[in-house]
Order: sequence, then structure tokens, then C-alpha cells
Amino acid sequence: MKLHEYQGKELLRQFGVAVQDGKVAYTPDEVRDIAREYGQAVVVKAQVHVGGRGKAGGVKFSPTIEKAYENAEKILGMDIKGLTVGKVLVTKAVDIDAGVEYYVGMIVDRNVQSYTLMACAEGGMEIEELAAERPEAIIRHRVDPVTGLRPYEAREVAIKAGFKGNLNKIADMMVRMSNAALARDAVLVEINPLFIDADGTPLALDTKFEIDDNAMYRHKDLLDWRETAAEHPLEVEAAKYGFAYVKLDEGNVGVLGNGAGIVMTSLDVVNRAGAKPANFLDIGGGAKAEIVYNAVKLVSKDPDVKAIFINIFGGITRADEVAKGVIQALEEGILTKPVRMRIAGTAEDEAKALLAEVNSPLIQMYPDMFQAAEAAAKDANSAGQMNAGSNSA
Amino acid sequence: MSILVNVNSKVVVQGITGREGGNHARAMKAFGTQVVAGVTPGKGGQDFEGTPVYNSVAEAVEKQGANVSIIFVPPAGAADAVLEAAHASVPLIVLITEGVPTVDMMKAVQEVKGLNERNLQGGGAGIRLIGGNCPGLVSSGEAKVGIMPNSIYADKGRIGLISRSGTLTYEAGKLLQLAGLGTSTTVGIGGDPVIGTTFADVLPLFEADPDTDAIVVIGEIGGADEEAAAEYIAAHMNKPVVAFISGRSAPAGKRMGHAGAIIMGNVGTPESKLAAFAAAGVPVADTMPEIVELVRKALNK
Repeated sequence: MKLHEYQGKELLRQFGVAVQDGKVAYTPDEVRDIAREYGQAVVVKAQVHVGGRGKAGGVKFSPTIEKAYENAEKILGMDIKGLTVGKVLVTKAVDIDAGVEYYVGMIVDRNVQSYTLMACAEGGMEIEELAAERPEAIIRHRVDPVTGLRPYEAREVAIKAGFKGNLNKIADMMVRMSNAALARDAVLVEINPLFIDADGTPLALDTKFEIDDNAMYRHKDLLDWRETAAEHPLEVEAAKYGFAYVKLDEGNVGVLGNGAGIVMTSLDVVNRAGAKPANFLDIGGGAKAEIVYNAVKLVSKDPDVKAIFINIFGGITRADEVAKGVIQALEEGILTKPVRMRIAGTAEDEAKALLAEVNSPLIQMYPDMFQAAEAAAKDANSAGQMNAGSNSA
Repeated sequence: MSILVNVNSKVVVQGITGREGGNHARAMKAFGTQVVAGVTPGKGGQDFEGTPVYNSVAEAVEKQGANVSIIFVPPAGAADAVLEAAHASVPLIVLITEGVPTVDMMKAVQEVKGLNERNLQGGGAGIRLIGGNCPGLVSSGEAKVGIMPNSIYADKGRIGLISRSGTLTYEAGKLLQLAGLGTSTTVGIGGDPVIGTTFADVLPLFEADPDTDAIVVIGEIGGADEEAAAEYIAAHMNKPVVAFISGRSAPAGKRMGHAGAIIMGNVGTPESKLAAFAAAGVPVADTMPEIVELVRKALNK
């Protein structure tokens, strides 16, 4: 679960990290009130779950109360990469020129089977960009998941990274960040920029915080922070069914299968067949007719989907159960798009018999995944052309 | 022979009285695996269809000589179940459970590694964790410690298979079976970001196995395990290796079902994996059926 900046800051504050003060506002009037209360220049920052807010104009320095109101009007309701800004964080502005900006962060790193702490003396930049351009500028250090980061390690990393300022205070902040990451099951936590003022004291100006979805059961106090508005409506619905579903951009073929690997490969096969997958949907193993029915219903709701490709390799999944689910969707009038499926495994013949009985051109079974994907791609692409034709007419 | 599991493996099922544990214990027995015990704390003294159930793994080891554990315990208790088996010195621990918190896995993997080293220093056989979020492993015609469909692995073949995915493992196994090549041992290493055993850990076992002629590696986007495998192959492997990468058309920043299947920045991209395999001289199949063609070609060289 991705957290907003203000939420990440709140978690870090709970672990004793010094963070830049701020208040959340939903209207320009509230922003004006906060700016008046602070009585100094503020920064108005869009709170949305996407990177690159600054570049998109979602973060604005506001030297006066009037300017803060004006900026809030601009930012609230703004669209950043498809997400509408519904709230902003208003913080006291910091005189960046009076200090220096660094980067510290921790990520789950499968290569070291633990967290890797990253530190860099060039703050404010996106770490991905920096990693691509100047990887040598980033100091990396494996954090022991049992002990967490210890102060001497933090000092070592800070020295290697070339951090200037109060070494003990900076190391202490890094240790506290590590404590927060471990205690709150972070997948990623970043303090960027980490501002060091003229006295050498560190302050977290911005943060990214993402929590491991598998660990949410022990962070029930944070469940209120889950924002379905930021997710695709179909992803929200899929979550209710317990499906692993990802909406994909610019697709025209709905894809579903049993198992993450087979669905990933199905996306590749659709691409290869000259169409674009509109989603990733894993219905899991041993799926019964009802689950397939729900999956077909969900994918059918997607207006981007012009044809559906079902790819099942049955070990525990029965082909006739899959067929029953699809047929039910057809009979209830939910299924209006062609379904092209490949179901290998147990009870294939029973599935074929069921489909022969229904005898609908909308549902076809193929002997392998390539033929099924090609048929779905052809249907989807020709549907697209028909639409384009009618639009121009 | 085969690697990791064989006809002599004595399996304890942790979570045998649960639905998944019970169903798969039954399927493993049907395959011919020696399922010697089950463990469910609080249900010691009962039996599961003739298999004795104990309160602890240590008891199952002591009473039945279990030397492989397979874990079906729900996510919140899964890492603890791993540590229980490791501290009972079970040499091979297979974690099937999906959805274990990553921090729990980090701690468990680190502790198992420490116990492994101590065990080896004391003259033991070592302690290895496979998974989590994996389908387990199977030595065809010998023993299955996993959840894969039995029919694909009934007869012994000569191709070793290592995979991050479940269903793709079955798919590849089936294709190799239909082609008359068959599999020697199949190892599902799991789709989570932090796992006990990686591709590079399994490769040397296949290299040393006289009954394996070639190895198929089925990778996917996310992480750099495939890159590490390529490096290992270039430096140490004499047997031919063929690879497959799934998720090549997946967009960056989106998790594709598996917790570990995500491209983050420039890490985990298919391009990086393809380049690593190319540099190591490992042919990469573009489609699943092409795996069979490439294996045949490699064997005929």
C-alpha cells in the first residue's frame, strides 16, 4: 500500500524522525487559513499516489497567503498522470540555500535477501534517475533484518556518502528510519530531500513510504489510509473477489488465466499476436465455475476489452468448470464479447460437450494458447477497426 | 538419481489438518511419496488418513525420521513454521504458502542460512529452504514434495527444470513430457521477492547430477536472479541451459500477480535478463514450445 507524503511523515514522526511540519487541506480556503497560521512562506504540495508531482506542477512555493490560495486553486482538482488531486499538504517553506539536500532510503532488495540502505549526497533528484546516470554516487549497505540498522553502520554510510553536518544526529535519523521500515513492513521508505540546516541538523522535507500488502493484517490501524479512489475501479472490484488484477493501458484484449506465470506469458502471447492486453487477471488455482463467472463479468465491464483470451492449464482446475462459468455469463447476457479459450488438462472433453450444446460463436475453444490468442487478437483488432470506421462515417 | 528429493525422502507435512495441507498430503501419497508424518500444534496424537499427526516438527523427526518438510501453514505463522523445521535440523524445508510478509521472510531466510552454516560445520548435511510462494519440487517417478499435478511427473526424464512460476512449470513439464524428453527433477523456487533458494543455488546440483543432461530455467520480470544465474552458468556450467522469461510485455512499476514480479526503475527488466543470458551463451525461448526445440538443439550439439 502506497502512502501519501503526509502519512509517511506521520509514521516517521512516530519513530522520532524530525519531519517538516505540515497540515492537510482539501479546499483553497483551508490552505489560506493554514498559510495565515504559519505566518511565513509555505509550500503547497499535491497528495497523489504518483511520482513526478513537482514536474507536473503539483508542488508550488507560495511566498504570501494570497499566493498560497492561488496555488491551491490551481493544484486542487488538477490531473496528474490520470489521478485527480483531492488534497494538498501545506508545509512551512525552508530556505534551501541555507543548507544542503541529501537522499536516504531503504528498499527490499532480493539480491541481499533483506533491506538495502541507500545514501547519496545529491538529494532532491529521483533516485531511479540517479541510479541510471551516476550509480557510483549512491552508497549501498545491507541492513540486518533482525537487528535493524545500527548507529555505527549509519555513521559509516553517512561518511562514505560524504554527508556534511552533525554526524550523530544524521545517523540517528537513519536508524529511526530503519526502525520505522522494519516495524511497519515497508517495501520502500525514502527521505528525499533530507535537508541539513546551517547548524548541521537533519530534517525530512519529503518522504515516500510503501507498505507490504502481505503484512497489512498487522497494520489494521492504517487500513483507513487505503484509498480506492486512487486505484482503477476495476482493480477495486477485483480486490473484492480476491483476484490478482492489474488494469493495463491501451489494451483491447481481456486476459485471464490460472497462475501469475501463465497470465504473464498470456500477455506476451497477445502482444505477439498483434493485439494489446487490457489487463492482467489471475483467477488462482482450482477455480470453480463461479470464480470464472466473476472473472468474465469483471473483464467484460472494461470498455477497452473487445475480446477475451482465457488461458487455463489445468492441474487442479477442471476445464468443464471453466466452461460452465463462461456459459453462465453468456446465458445471463453479461458476455457480449468473443471469448477465445485454451483449456488444457482434466475434463477437456466434458468442456467441449458443454460448449457444443450452447453452440455460440461468442465462445470458442482452441487446442493451444497461440491459436486462442491469435483468434482473440483478430476479433479485438477488427472490432477496433469497425468502431474507427463508424466514427469516421 | 535426481536432486534434493528421491524415493528415500521422508516427508512431514506442516499444516496437514488444514484444507490445502490435507489435499496435497493425499496427492503426494498418491504420487508415491513417503509422507511419514503431519504436524499441527494442538492436534498431536490424531492421525490423518493413517499418517500420524504430531505437535511439533522435532517430534515428527524423532518418531518418524522425517528429513523433508513441506509447509502449508497460513501466512502469519509460515515463517515461524520454517524456523521450527530448521531448528529441528530438517535438511530440506519447502514453503508453499503465498502471502508471507517480506520482513518475516528476510528474518527466516537469514536465520536458516546461519543454521545451515553451523550444521555444515558440525558435519551435517546442511539445511535448505525452498520458497515461499512456490509449487515445491518433484523428482519424476520418485517423489513429489509439492502441489504440481501428478500425471506430468510420473515418468523419469533427463531434463532439469527450475522455475519462479507454478503454472508455467507444469506447462513446461508437460511439453517436455510430450516431446519424450521428460524431467529429472523440477524445482519451483517461488515468486516472492525474498526466497530461500535461487536459480544459482540449484544450478550446481543439476550440474553434478548424472541423470540430468540439460537444464531449463523459467524466469520472469523483477529482481536480478536471472542475471545471477547467467553469470553462474557462464563461469561454472558445462551442461547446456535453456531459458524462458515471462512478462516481457509487462509495464514497469506494476506488480504482475507475484509479489516479486515488478520492474522497479531499471532493475528487473526483460531486456537486462535477455542480455545477461545472451552474454552467457544461454539460448532464450520466445515461446513455451520453443523451449523443447532449444533443448533438443542443445542436446544434439
